Amino acid sequence: MRQAVANVGAGALRVAEEVGGIVILTGQTLRALVPPRVDTRELVKNLYKMGNRSVPIVVLTAFFAGGLMTLQTGPFVKKLGATALAGWGAGYAVLREIGPILIALMFSGRVGANNTAELATMTVTEQLDGLRALAIDPVRFLVVPRVLAMMVMLVALTVIGDLVALTGASVVGHAMLDIEWSTMFHSFADNLRPYDFLHGVYKSIAFGAAIAMSSCYFGVTVRGGAVGVGRAVNAAVVAAAVSIMLLDFFLTYLTG
Amino acid sequence: MSIDAAIRLRDVHKRYGHHELLAGISLDVPRGGKLGLIGPAACGKSVLLKLICGLEQPDRGDIEVLGESVLRKREPELGPLRQRVGMLFQNYALFDFLSVQANVAFPLEQRGTISARDILERVTARLRAVGLAGSEAKLTAELSGGMKKRVGIARATVADPELVIYDEPTAGLDPVTTQKIYDLLAADQARTGATVLAVSSDVVALARFVDEIAFLYRGHIVHRGPAATILDAPDPLVRQFVRGELEGPLSEARA
Amino acid sequence: MTRFAETIGDAIVAAVRAVRDLWLVYVGTVAGLVRKSRVPHRGEVARQLYAIGNRSLVFVIVTLGFIGMVMTYEACLQLSRVVGDYTQVGPQYLRLVISDFAPTLTALMLATRVGAGIAAEIGSMKVTEQIDALRMSGVLPIDYLIVPRFVASVIMTLVLSTVGGAVMYAAGGLTAQYSFGVNPNNFYGLQFVRPRHVVMMIVKALSYGAAIPVVAGFCGLRARGSSEGVGWATTAAVIGSSFAVIVLDFVISAAALFVTGGDL
Repeated sequence: MRQAVANVGAGALRVAEEVGGIVILTGQTLRALVPPRVDTRELVKNLYKMGNRSVPIVVLTAFFAGGLMTLQTGPFVKKLGATALAGWGAGYAVLREIGPILIALMFSGRVGANNTAELATMTVTEQLDGLRALAIDPVRFLVVPRVLAMMVMLVALTVIGDLVALTGASVVGHAMLDIEWSTMFHSFADNLRPYDFLHGVYKSIAFGAAIAMSSCYFGVTVRGGAVGVGRAVNAAVVAAAVSIMLLDFFLTYLTG
Repeated sequence: MSIDAAIRLRDVHKRYGHHELLAGISLDVPRGGKLGLIGPAACGKSVLLKLICGLEQPDRGDIEVLGESVLRKREPELGPLRQRVGMLFQNYALFDFLSVQANVAFPLEQRGTISARDILERVTARLRAVGLAGSEAKLTAELSGGMKKRVGIARATVADPELVIYDEPTAGLDPVTTQKIYDLLAADQARTGATVLAVSSDVVALARFVDEIAFLYRGHIVHRGPAATILDAPDPLVRQFVRGELEGPLSEARA
Repeated sequence: MTRFAETIGDAIVAAVRAVRDLWLVYVGTVAGLVRKSRVPHRGEVARQLYAIGNRSLVFVIVTLGFIGMVMTYEACLQLSRVVGDYTQVGPQYLRLVISDFAPTLTALMLATRVGAGIAAEIGSMKVTEQIDALRMSGVLPIDYLIVPRFVASVIMTLVLSTVGGAVMYAAGGLTAQYSFGVNPNNFYGLQFVRPRHVVMMIVKALSYGAAIPVVAGFCGLRARGSSEGVGWATTAAVIGSSFAVIVLDFVISAAALFVTGGDL
């Protein structure tokens, strides 16, 4: 029994330590942004890498997710004879919630995990120490470009993904529930407001920041060889997932 | 199918990507013999060892180990043959989730035919022979490099295999420990009469242990001769390598 | 031009080979399950149950709880715009939680946590040649490493989906009550839940639980190099298992739609 309490306490301490560490890294990153002297080559390289890699998986995921939403809400809407609302059910969920969250989760898995792995490998092979020895600040050189790239990319991907998801919703609606394209399109246009779309985008900015900071933090604080790298990636994606859910909650309540 | 040869390679080819690592290797290792394998780094020595163990398949050629072919066999079929072979991996490959005792006992336990008491006896005896008596309960993370190597050797030899393969048994160890390890390997071999295949970059120490040395260079065996006279090999390429000289056909070839 | 076609061709061949290898891992896992192992695995399965279940419990509860609150909030918000009547929110929400959200969201969380963990463990064993050492001792890596995790994952995904679903539903109820004044009596009701919804939940949870360790184990076994290889394997495992969950969700939901004739 005492052991269980000790475990919970140790777990809580570890979470607190990690959260604290991420906050500190965030502070360092923000400070490195003033004045905004970013290594543009690193920034462009990362933008390309992260965007390029994640487009296929995000597009595929968004398509299926949109289709799923139609499968869930469509039959219900059809039964009520309210096919005009078909787009509403799927589209609303996609733009405000499912789209940003799923795309963020996929982004975290694809880009965030990869980023952690890269930074962790660099740390384990002492490249970060090497940079410091050359009087280059790793935060300014490595972390800041990646954070910026991830945030920009996630917003772009969310926008693309939202559109693909709506497409997927329409395709499934047409192919499986016999809902006409025009019906879907009109129900999107009639029931979804621009604010719904923006709401999802605001969220993706926050998600991007969370994923980026967590991914970089666990990458540079890794310890212990190949096994440590695996553990760092694991911790990074878990932390990102939890942050996404928490942020989603707070943002939904705060911005309605 | 010769019963005298413990290992028989015929025209073995293996390519990695667009690079042909092994371009027609033919080799015989007689039973009870000790062969050393040397060559420049990353020239395919470890790959050759893995092919012999059936851990990888060659693109072309024939490989027979202890009278059995290892080609195109599925994992379960290779089981009985592997029980007669012991391998020390270059990076020890110790199971980091098991203690020293459990690591060495592992091959014996997997057979399922040996009693727990026998296993314990043999493991204890083996650990004592390699100088690690008392370290049974330690986890691999707590061991030094030399100790890990010795656990690896113990695990490779605990089942008294007919063929033992050592991949860099003394890399990264100081000269005294190196000699101790080779003394240990020699004592083991004298006791069991097993066939030995050893890869090493420490040519001098290796030469004291094995009967013959083969030189693997650019995918071919370019030399094979008695270990005692390796330093005076007729081929200038080999001579430059084993003597560690800076100038000669090796450096010219690379430039 | 031919270089481009070559690259595409290479990519397709590699992808097909990867899918085939993944299928072989799955078949190998099932075969390993069916085959009676000489070495006792019960201890290992128990250890894996603990590793997966215990450590993911809090994670699943927290994430599903929050997402449950958000979903209910959004649903009520949208209803307030269109219909203004909240009586159906709770029971409809329960139907969706059971038949879809609980197993799928739980599995997505587990794909992250458990998938990454399995790939990291098996991946680091692969790059340190421990997998080869296992084979040299006459052990099949799939039997020894993946099968116990497979069993544990299937069981735990179902268990955690149930727990997660309960948490999601309760959290949703609280949100509806405190933010929109929905009467708990109206919210908590089983009216729209049919046996087929529970069947769908079980089928989904079991499928996800089977897919995650197979995909993650597959990625781990393919790790190459050193730390980079492990990082890559872990990344691939998270993506692969997450994507597998979503595709399975879609397939099972679509199949259910056909079976029930368009009535979810």
